[in-house]
Amino acid sequence: MNNDNKNNAEPVRAQKSLKATAVAGAYQKEWFAGLKARVEKGEDFGYLNADVPMEILRAMDIPFVVNQWWAAICAAKRMAPKYYGLLNEQGYRDDLCSYCATAFAESLDPDDKVSGPWGGLPDPTIAITRLTCDCQSKIFELFAKNHGSELYVMENTQPRRVPPNWWELAPDRWEELYDPDRLDFAVEELKALISFLEAKTGKMFDINKLIEVMNLINEQESWYKKTRDLIAETQPAPVTVVDTINAVMQAQWQRGTRWAADHAKSLYEEIKAFVDQKRSSVPNERLRLMWLGRGLWHDFAFYQNFEEKYGAVFMWSMYLAMGADAYIRNNVEADPLRALAARYIGMEDFLHMPPWNANWFLHEAKHNRIDGVVYMVPENCMQALEGSYFVKKTLEDAGIPVLIFKADPVDARKWNRETMTGLVEDFIETRIIMGGKK
Amino acid sequence: MSIRVCARDNKTFRRLLEYYSDREKAARLFRKNGGKVVGELGCDVPDELIIAAGMFPYRIYAGECSHLIEADRYLEYSFDPVVRMQFEKLTDGTLNNEIDYLAISNSTDTLIRIYLYLKEIKRSEPEKPVPDLEFIDWLFTRRLIHQTRNEFTVRLFWEKLEEWSGRKITYKDFAEAASICNEDRVAIREIMKLRRAYKPRVTGSEALVIIGSAFYMDRREHAALTRQLYEDAKKWPEINGPRIFLTGSAQENTELYELIENEGAVIVGEDHDWGERFVNRDCNLGYSPVRAVVDQYMMREFSSKKAFVSQRVEALDREVEACGAEAVMFYMNAFEEAASWDMPSQRKSLAARGIKTRAFTKMSYPVSKNSALEPGLKTFIESLKG
Repeated sequence: MNNDNKNNAEPVRAQKSLKATAVAGAYQKEWFAGLKARVEKGEDFGYLNADVPMEILRAMDIPFVVNQWWAAICAAKRMAPKYYGLLNEQGYRDDLCSYCATAFAESLDPDDKVSGPWGGLPDPTIAITRLTCDCQSKIFELFAKNHGSELYVMENTQPRRVPPNWWELAPDRWEELYDPDRLDFAVEELKALISFLEAKTGKMFDINKLIEVMNLINEQESWYKKTRDLIAETQPAPVTVVDTINAVMQAQWQRGTRWAADHAKSLYEEIKAFVDQKRSSVPNERLRLMWLGRGLWHDFAFYQNFEEKYGAVFMWSMYLAMGADAYIRNNVEADPLRALAARYIGMEDFLHMPPWNANWFLHEAKHNRIDGVVYMVPENCMQALEGSYFVKKTLEDAGIPVLIFKADPVDARKWNRETMTGLVEDFIETRIIMGGKK
Repeated sequence: MSIRVCARDNKTFRRLLEYYSDREKAARLFRKNGGKVVGELGCDVPDELIIAAGMFPYRIYAGECSHLIEADRYLEYSFDPVVRMQFEKLTDGTLNNEIDYLAISNSTDTLIRIYLYLKEIKRSEPEKPVPDLEFIDWLFTRRLIHQTRNEFTVRLFWEKLEEWSGRKITYKDFAEAASICNEDRVAIREIMKLRRAYKPRVTGSEALVIIGSAFYMDRREHAALTRQLYEDAKKWPEINGPRIFLTGSAQENTELYELIENEGAVIVGEDHDWGERFVNRDCNLGYSPVRAVVDQYMMREFSSKKAFVSQRVEALDREVEACGAEAVMFYMNAFEEAASWDMPSQRKSLAARGIKTRAFTKMSYPVSKNSALEPGLKTFIESLKG
C-alpha cells in the first residue's frame, strides 16, 4: 500500500473550524516557551512516554514534555525525513519505531537548537518510560544518553482477568476492572517513582496536590464525555476529527491544570453552540466514518478528502473518546495513588488488548452511528499490534465495514495521499455505499 | 566443518542428534505412558517446576511450515516469521497431539501479544484447538519491587502446575528437579569448554545439537549423555578457523551455523536462547524454591529483547572476551527489531576492542530463503582469514 512520497510535493493543510483548536495550538507554543525558560534557569525537566503517569510530575510541578506529543509536532513540521536520515547515518535502521524514536533521532541533529521545531527540544534532566514494548527501554536510554538525562523506567504487567465493558467500570468500579495484585504493584511502582523524583529534584511530593490534580483531570475529562456524547448524538456532526484530535490531544498532555479543564469546557461550549445553531462541519453529511489508530500527524488534510465527493465525515477518533471513557476516576480522595494506578495501567489494555479494544470500538461505533471504519496499522510498531483481526471481526460481525491499511503516523516518506485516497474511496463506494455488492 | 564425521560416528552424539531431530519422540512416549506435556513458548518458562510437577517440558519451535493460514488470519504482518510459524502450529491443530498445556513467558513483547491473541481465540472461538494456557509475567527490571513481584508470579505458575498435574509440588519434588536441571547445565557448560578452547574440539553446530536436545528429552538422561560425550569429544580433532560469536535472532536449528562453519569459521559462542544462554545460571538450592527460580530467570545474562542498550553492550563485550571470539556476526530476522537498537553501540564498542563485525538484518526465515547470505558470509569469513 505504501508508495513514495513524490506526489505530495505541495502539502495541503487541513481546514480547522474551532476556536478551541486554534487556542490550544497557540497555548502550547506559549507554554513551550515558558517551559524552555524554566529549563534555562536550571529547573529539572522531564521527558515522558505517553503511558507514564505524568500526574505525579504535575503534582510536583516538574515541567515535562510527552514523547508522542513532541513526535506529532516534529511530524507536523515535516522534520521526520531529516531525522530518520540522521538515524541512518549513525548506523540505526530508519524504518523502525518511528513514533517513539523521533525524539531520539532529533537528538542526533547538531542543528536542533537552530532548526528544530520551536527552537528544538531543551535537554531533559529526566527521561521516563514504561516497558510496554521491547524497544522502548533501548530508545529511551539512547535518547537520555544524548541529552545527558537520568533514565527511569516503569514496568508493565498483563491482566489475567478481563471483565467486559471496561468503560462502564473504569470511573467508579476500577477495583473490579483489574487483578488486585496488579493494582497493588502499580501503587508500589508509583511510590518508587515518587522517591526517585524527590531525590532527583529536591521537591516534595504532596498527596493533597495530587488529589487536586486528579480532580482537575476528572473535570476536564467529564467535559470530553459531554462533548463526545454531543457529537455522537448530533447528525450531521458539528465537528470532525481534524478539530477534535488537535484540540483534545494538546490539552490532554496538559491535564491536571486549570487551563486544560477550562479548555475542555470551552471546547464543549463551542461545539454546543454549533449544535444549537444547527451548524455542521459538513452540511451534506451522508456517511459517518470512524478513524482507528493514531492520528495521521503529517497529513491531517487527508481526513477531509472525502467530504465533498461522498459527504463522508471522519467524526470519531480515539483521542476524544478515550478522554471521555478512560481517564475519569471518581472519589480519588480515598486513595489517590490507587486511583492513579487504576488509570495508568489500563491505558495499554483499553487500546491494545482484545477484547477490550474491540468491544469498546463497537460500542462507540454504535453510539456514533458509524457507517464505516478506516483502521490505520503501522508496520513498524510492536505496540500497535492490538489484535486487528478481532477488532475487524467484531465490527464487521455487527455490520460495520472496516478498511485496514498500513501507514505511519509520523513518517511521511512512504505516504502517498493520492493512492491512499483512492483506497478509501474504493472502500466507501464498494463496502459502504454498495454494501459489498459491487 | 559444521557437524563433523567424528561427531556423527559417535554413538552418544548420535543419540542427542536423534532427539534434536525428532523433537516429538520423547514427549510422545511420555504421553503414551500417561504423562502430561507442557509446551513452552518463550525461553523463560521454568523447566524445573514443570519437571517437579511430574510433567514433561517441551519447547515450541517453528520448524518448517508449508502454510500459514491461521497466522495470516490472526496476526498482523509485523509479527516475526518464527513466531508466525509457532503460532500456526498452536492454532491449526499440529500441536494438539503433542502437548497438553501451554506455558508462555514474557520473554518478548511479541509473545505477550501471542498470549493475548490465543486467550481471545479461546474465549471467542472455543472450537479452535488451542490448549489451556498460562502466562508467566516476568519483569526483567532489576529492582527489589520487581524481584518481589516475580516471586508472586512464580507462585501463580506453581499453583497452575499443581492444578494441571493434579498433585502438590513438594519441596522434595522441586529440589530433585532443580538438581537434575543443574546437573545438566553443569554438564553442558563443561563440554562447552571444548568449544571455547584455544583449539576448539566442538563446533558451533555440534554445540547447538548438544544444548538443543535438552529441550526434547529427559534431563537426567541428557546430563548423562553430555557427560559421556565430554569424555569422547576431548579426543575429537582440533578445529582451525576464524572464531565467530553470533548474536541476534535465536537459531532453533543448525542451518545458519552450518553455512558459516562450512566456510571455514567456527562459532565459539552465542547469546540466543537455543545456545549457551540456556546454561548461563543455575537454580540456587540455597534459596527457597520460589526465590531460587526468580534468581535464575531474572538474574541470568541479559537477553537481546529485555535489556537496555548499555547492558547489551557490556554483555556482548563480556561474552566475546570469554570465548575468545575475533569477530561478531549480527543476524536478525525481519520484524525482530529490538536488538537493532543495540547494534550500533555494540559495534562501536567491539571495534574499539579490535573485534570485527558483520551485520545481516531483515533476514527471511528459514535461513535458506536468503540468497545473498552465502556470498556475504564467504566474503566476511575470507576477510577474517586474511
